[in-house]
Amino acid sequence: MTLRLGRRTLLRGAFGVSLGLPVLECMLNESGTAHAQSSPLPRRFVLVFAGQSLGGDGWERDKNLVAGRRFTEPGHFIAPASTGPAWEMTTPLEPLKDLRGDFSIVSGMNIPFNKTSAEAADVPPGGAFRDFHGGAACPLLCGTRSQSASFTCRSITSDQVVAKLNKGKTPVDSLVLRAQPSWYLSGSSYSGRQYISYGDGGTKIEAQTSPQIAFRALFQGAKPSGSGASAQLDFALRGKRSVLDLILDKRQRLLSQVGAADKIRLDRHFEELRALEQRISAMPSMPAGGCTVPADPGPDSPIGGDNAGAGSDTIATNTGYSDEDTRARVMADLIHMAFVCDLTRAATLQITTFQSHMNVLTVTTALGMPIRADLHECGHNGDANNRGQLPVSTCLKWHVSIYAHLLEKLKGTTEGAGTVLDNTVALFVPEGGHGLQLNDATSLWQTHSVEDMVMVVGGRAGGLKPGNHIATGGAHPATCLISAMQAAGASGDTFGEVTGNVAALFA
Amino acid sequence: MRRPLVIHLLCAAALAACTGTIGNTDRENGARPGSANARNGASGGGGHSSGASAGSGTYGGAAGVDVGPAAPFVAYESVARRMSQAELDATLRDVFGDSTDPAHKFLPEDEFRPYDNDYTVQQASAALIESLDALAEDVATRLLSNSATRAKLVPCTPSGPGDVACFRQVVTTLGKRAFRRPLSADEIDAYLKLQSFATETNPDVPHDFYTAVSLFLRAVLQDPEFLYRIEIGAPTKDSDIYSLDSYAIASRLSYLLWGSSPDDELLSAADGGALGGPEERKAQAERLLADPRAKTQVHRFHALWLGYRAIPHPADLTAAFNEETTHLIDRVVFEERGDFLDLFRSTDTYLTDFLADHYGLPHPQGGSGWVPYGASGRAGILSHGSVLSAFSKFSDTSPTQRGILVRTRLLCETLGSPPAIVNVDQPPGMGTDAVCKYDRYAAHRQSSSSCNACHRLMDPIGFGLEQYDMAGVLRDHDDGLPQCPIQGKGTVEGIGDFSGPAELEKLLVGSGRLDDCAVQQLLTFAVGHELNGTELKDAAAHLSTFRSGGRAFDGLLVDIVTSDAFTLRKEPPAP
Repeated sequence: MTLRLGRRTLLRGAFGVSLGLPVLECMLNESGTAHAQSSPLPRRFVLVFAGQSLGGDGWERDKNLVAGRRFTEPGHFIAPASTGPAWEMTTPLEPLKDLRGDFSIVSGMNIPFNKTSAEAADVPPGGAFRDFHGGAACPLLCGTRSQSASFTCRSITSDQVVAKLNKGKTPVDSLVLRAQPSWYLSGSSYSGRQYISYGDGGTKIEAQTSPQIAFRALFQGAKPSGSGASAQLDFALRGKRSVLDLILDKRQRLLSQVGAADKIRLDRHFEELRALEQRISAMPSMPAGGCTVPADPGPDSPIGGDNAGAGSDTIATNTGYSDEDTRARVMADLIHMAFVCDLTRAATLQITTFQSHMNVLTVTTALGMPIRADLHECGHNGDANNRGQLPVSTCLKWHVSIYAHLLEKLKGTTEGAGTVLDNTVALFVPEGGHGLQLNDATSLWQTHSVEDMVMVVGGRAGGLKPGNHIATGGAHPATCLISAMQAAGASGDTFGEVTGNVAALFA
Repeated sequence: MRRPLVIHLLCAAALAACTGTIGNTDRENGARPGSANARNGASGGGGHSSGASAGSGTYGGAAGVDVGPAAPFVAYESVARRMSQAELDATLRDVFGDSTDPAHKFLPEDEFRPYDNDYTVQQASAALIESLDALAEDVATRLLSNSATRAKLVPCTPSGPGDVACFRQVVTTLGKRAFRRPLSADEIDAYLKLQSFATETNPDVPHDFYTAVSLFLRAVLQDPEFLYRIEIGAPTKDSDIYSLDSYAIASRLSYLLWGSSPDDELLSAADGGALGGPEERKAQAERLLADPRAKTQVHRFHALWLGYRAIPHPADLTAAFNEETTHLIDRVVFEERGDFLDLFRSTDTYLTDFLADHYGLPHPQGGSGWVPYGASGRAGILSHGSVLSAFSKFSDTSPTQRGILVRTRLLCETLGSPPAIVNVDQPPGMGTDAVCKYDRYAAHRQSSSSCNACHRLMDPIGFGLEQYDMAGVLRDHDDGLPQCPIQGKGTVEGIGDFSGPAELEKLLVGSGRLDDCAVQQLLTFAVGHELNGTELKDAAAHLSTFRSGGRAFDGLLVDIVTSDAFTLRKEPPAP
């Protein structure tokens, strides 16, 4: 290394802001583990969520029904049979086969629940109210007990803890994305199933569902090459700020006229506009190092197969699928580059909603096992010819393939002496486990279960030592989140009502 | 107010299981195709064990619950309502000439409860703001790069990039249409500074007069005063009641009857302060109802109400269903303007040869037209593939869900949640050897079963429609299971037995509750929130007028807009 630059040297002239910029080799210390001015490399946190459980209702883990044929065969449940580094590959993990040393599998996790009482008051700390889909969400994502079937998290989620930790260090506090853009069922609505990110006190954070707009929001400030192009960018950004200023100038006058309820509603809107203006002003404009503007993903794929109806005079065709496969991969690409460019250090990618009704036919056909059901029905024996472990694991495998895509991208980008994945913790979090049914506390081998839950923890941030299968023997899944938050730089070991981490992730 | 016997009997038998506290989200999500039950996670707002929101316990009161000693009705609660995707697209079309439905492309999906315009779940977010920023840039750039659309936005010819008079004209004219009120001189002046982007010296960046117009458009499109219908109003003697000005009334008229912004004529009427009187509003309403936009809006209401807004069929079949259903709605509401219940009673239907073949009905004359149902067992909209697709799963009908459709959407009843410990997501009968669908629902029918207390209200309705598959095609056995004949016999408990849509329609019409419920549904759609107990009193008053006027749907709309309440706003109680 022949040249040492202070980081701020690069920043003058870029709107006069001092925010995280891509790391150049020459800015690192000799060992490549920290910036020359002794601030460590940024540590990133990403949580990838799959809205499904791990097995089929009433099917043991080696029991399968595929294309009408029943057979017994192990190896399809996500958690391998043996622990340690020499774990056997399983069907859902196959997309990760080239990354074996880059992640650990944490299995055997349980959310506590009261087997003798379904009353809200009797839910144990960090526990689940006895109604699966809504009752499990809060303890899973925020470590706090649920006391109703509501999906609403009652305290902050792990990604937002990391976002707070890094607040002010990057232009975007957190990147919250969802690949499934529609609830699909026309007789009902999301009602909370679309959230996996919550701020302090359980404030919902709406995900961006458009890959195109997510791309634009992240990279509209990126400076193109050539003086003409940069003059155009400068002009465009000045115009955008003038537009927002004109609107924000109305704030006080308008709020002084409206009623109490509208003051709250409209002020929130203005506050988000102001935040947008600040993000635009703070957006670094100098791609460098591994940081490049990704290819424009182009227009989003049509929602549900038909984007034109749904509330107008046209009844829309609804195939239940909006090419979530492409949407999710584009979003993973955006998270990757947002990390590389240090635009944010906290991200979530909700591939499918809780209790997802995305039609899985396309994605499972691509994996060689056409399943005629939506994701939710797949676990509940919705396809008469495809039931049990292997079909459910095939749906899960698709989700894992998105996660694997993200890990590959992070690993493929060098940073300091290693790769971006070395400074990232990437979680894969399915909605449920497979075991005793939460609702009735009686039935075995159920998708409505918070038993035997599994997460995948990828990356090496904060001293993570990946490569193992760790069977926890009943740890709360929030302990896995605590480990990940610690890996991303958080201190302390209590999250919601849960204390302790999965120490083996660091050993 | 009627108080149906059935609910009371069941309350006594199964209070905990079937009545309980009903959160508004339970009510809608209870209607979840894909589940075998009324509960749908009780999610989003409070859940079924707690957190019933204000008013939710009394929703459906006119049909099921005594609304009791609620305060006298004066006005509906109202706050700033953000346009739904459909409303924003219609507004962009009418105000700016953009017919490409950008809101559907750019904005997050609305929550449908079941209407897309429920303001109680609208909340601004970073995702929304970013999407609106992208939408505004897309719309402005596209409209100004096309000479035809640009000419509509900019009626003057600018003398140069800094032509203040022409720019001022654009701001004044478009600003009024967009904000649905005239702009003050100060407001207009504030936009003029955007002209510096048109006039600056900058050889690297192409810019001209329209650069400033584009920025003005973007500023308008992202302005809360455009995106929300903000009603301020003047204080009245009641501290929480405000009297609306003519412009707010004009917006109420156009967004109820068109789902879009007021046109110039309506704004002119507002300029003259002429919308305060019921006669003026009636005249405007009749004018608006004669416009094609009113049809679109009435179609939208029905698609949301009956849950068929997006259905799992190929595009050609979906389009054919759309044609069939909109023809019937148009005939009942706009052409015959007779009894609205004809929508359910109609003895013929509008088919193409394609759709006739699909249903197995006779071909219409000349390739498309009205075909009598005859003795087919079909009648009205409940026989349409559109409605029969609603509340299905992707792969089959759900008798329970169809029962929920009838109970919640057509009879305005609330259905309780089953105990949390019952896993409602598994198809019924999974633990049994039963093959046939009817047998798989056996546990729901056992009178000793706790399921039965509620499922007796739902499943027997669905089984009476079970001979009609999820595309509305007649069948006599379960799909793929010839050994499972479908009897098609159903019951609406408390009302009567039936088989098929025609007999069901007779029961529902005969119950005297269908028109009652339709009025409540329309008012819910109109005001953007679930009706509270006080507001149900007003619904009952409109029902009375509706009935005495021969149940003309357009008459109901006129009755709503000519009421005093249409000119008033009630501030909701502090949270």
